[in-house]
Amino acid sequence: MALTKQQLKDIETHLVELAAKEVGPIIKEKAGTLFEAFDDKANQVDLVTAVDKKIEAIIKDSLAKQYPDFKFIGEETFQPGDTAIGKEPTFIIDPIDGTTNFIHGYPYSCTSLGLVENGIPVCGVVFNPHLDMMFHASAGNGAFLNGKPIKVTERDLTLQQSILALEAGSERSSGSSGDDNFDIKQATYKNLLSDQGAYIHGSRSCGSAAMNMCFVAAGKLDAYWEGGCWAWDVCAGWSILTEAGGMVVGGNPNEWKVPVDDRCYLAVRGGCTEPMQKKFVENFWSQVAGKLKYHW
Amino acid sequence: MVQSALDLLSIEKYLCELAQKHVGPIIKAKSGTQHTYDAKSGSRAVDIVTAIDKQVEKLIWDNVKQKYPEFKFIGEESYVAGQTKITDEPTFIIDPIDGTTNFVHDFPFSCTSLGLAINKEPVVGVIYNPHLDLLVSASRDNGMRVNGQDFDFMAKKHEMGPLHLAKSVVALQPGSAREGPNFTTKMKTYEKLLSCDGGFVHGFRNLGSSAMTLAYICLGYLDSYWDGGCYAWDVCAGWCILRETGGRIVGANPGEWEVPVDNRTYLAVRGCENKQEQNEYIEKFWDCVEGKLNYT
Repeated sequence: MALTKQQLKDIETHLVELAAKEVGPIIKEKAGTLFEAFDDKANQVDLVTAVDKKIEAIIKDSLAKQYPDFKFIGEETFQPGDTAIGKEPTFIIDPIDGTTNFIHGYPYSCTSLGLVENGIPVCGVVFNPHLDMMFHASAGNGAFLNGKPIKVTERDLTLQQSILALEAGSERSSGSSGDDNFDIKQATYKNLLSDQGAYIHGSRSCGSAAMNMCFVAAGKLDAYWEGGCWAWDVCAGWSILTEAGGMVVGGNPNEWKVPVDDRCYLAVRGGCTEPMQKKFVENFWSQVAGKLKYHW
Repeated sequence: MVQSALDLLSIEKYLCELAQKHVGPIIKAKSGTQHTYDAKSGSRAVDIVTAIDKQVEKLIWDNVKQKYPEFKFIGEESYVAGQTKITDEPTFIIDPIDGTTNFVHDFPFSCTSLGLAINKEPVVGVIYNPHLDLLVSASRDNGMRVNGQDFDFMAKKHEMGPLHLAKSVVALQPGSAREGPNFTTKMKTYEKLLSCDGGFVHGFRNLGSSAMTLAYICLGYLDSYWDGGCYAWDVCAGWCILRETGGRIVGANPGEWEVPVDNRTYLAVRGCENKQEQNEYIEKFWDCVEGKLNYT
């Protein structure tokens, strides 16, 4: 039994309330104040993780009360290997996306609350309390920024005339962990920027996957390429992006359909025709300098 | 001497009003609407300029000429390479729209950057981003203001804790020159900064606007910014504000402790409680520079 449009809208409304009233104020208050505590490995109490866990518990409690039959996957309670995403409606949430930003007080940390059904993102809420930006959407109901419909200006999309979100991520070793992801990313960035390669208008980095997805959804960035993030980083943004006419494909060439936990993605804005999006994707893939690998 | 008689705070206030009331509304209204633009060096190039840049520069010029008829004026759009020289006279050094690529793509980080230099030293700085309604300003010995309110950077510095390369978030921008030795130096340096065998910084951010980046450092959101290829008008306003908060700007290349405002390569570092930390930060950063940036 699939969720109806109205049921999805009600869930969206509930998530917006939860983000605005309960989660946002904590993120705003604590951002940039825990710098000393975050990486003190000798200290048993990692204060950042504590805030993350506290927020995740608030979200989980609220959702369990309201939607007792739905499954729940959160960054803090995730167990590698045994938290598979099934067909049932499942909340996939990141209490604080952009943890480095949160630690440093850089105003791009947010909460990311998503819902999948049959493995497909169908509802998403991303709230950045620093900039007071609330992105929200549900399948068939459109995408919104602070209650106003997101309407991407109709215009051509080409790789050369694009600005892309590109992040370094936290994986920084060349081959030492048995993969080449860091090197492949660096080489791909170079291909994209070089005037011998794609020669794109520019790259931008905000340090938050959810914010990047939302900026692509709003048409403020043309695309976002990422490897290494998790389902909870992209689930909410994915739903918002598809409702705003965008698409998500794999970050590696020729992967037109990928599951929400693929860990490697290319998100492309709307505001243009599907053939134009597909051409953009193919051109982008031609610059990818190897195969990013996150599943073993 | 004319400069000793100058009331810098009143010039700051005047520029704030000009930025907020006259320049900002145009940038906000026209952002993302300019689908025809010139590239300064060929149709495929990425050094974009729009008709609005020129229009806004004229508006600023006309205004300041009336109010301060004896001051010199250097603006991005009226600058003539090889001819325009910065003298010791009081000189407005301005960028009508910093982050033009952002402006074209409606990425909400375009701003106006209005600086005044005397004896080639930045003494007034005003940066206004109308999308975020963020006005950051300062004048020599008068401290810094955010949207007109005094900003307590001492408290912020305390909250941010010590300044260390490996715990810092660094702003990096590839810029529009995409081949040749400077591009290679940038890409290699980014890799070294990120690599676990090099600087291993917490992360990098790329906003696509030098002025916004400097404003974000002044606000305590970012720790440093390293760039080559920008011009005096990209940094003049931010430089003044940064110095008022205890931050400093040195050259991007190792050993350049003192550089002029039109040096074209810069390393900007935030203020911190311990001055010695700032020097050590700069030296460690320079250790990661692979090659030499050269724009002569």
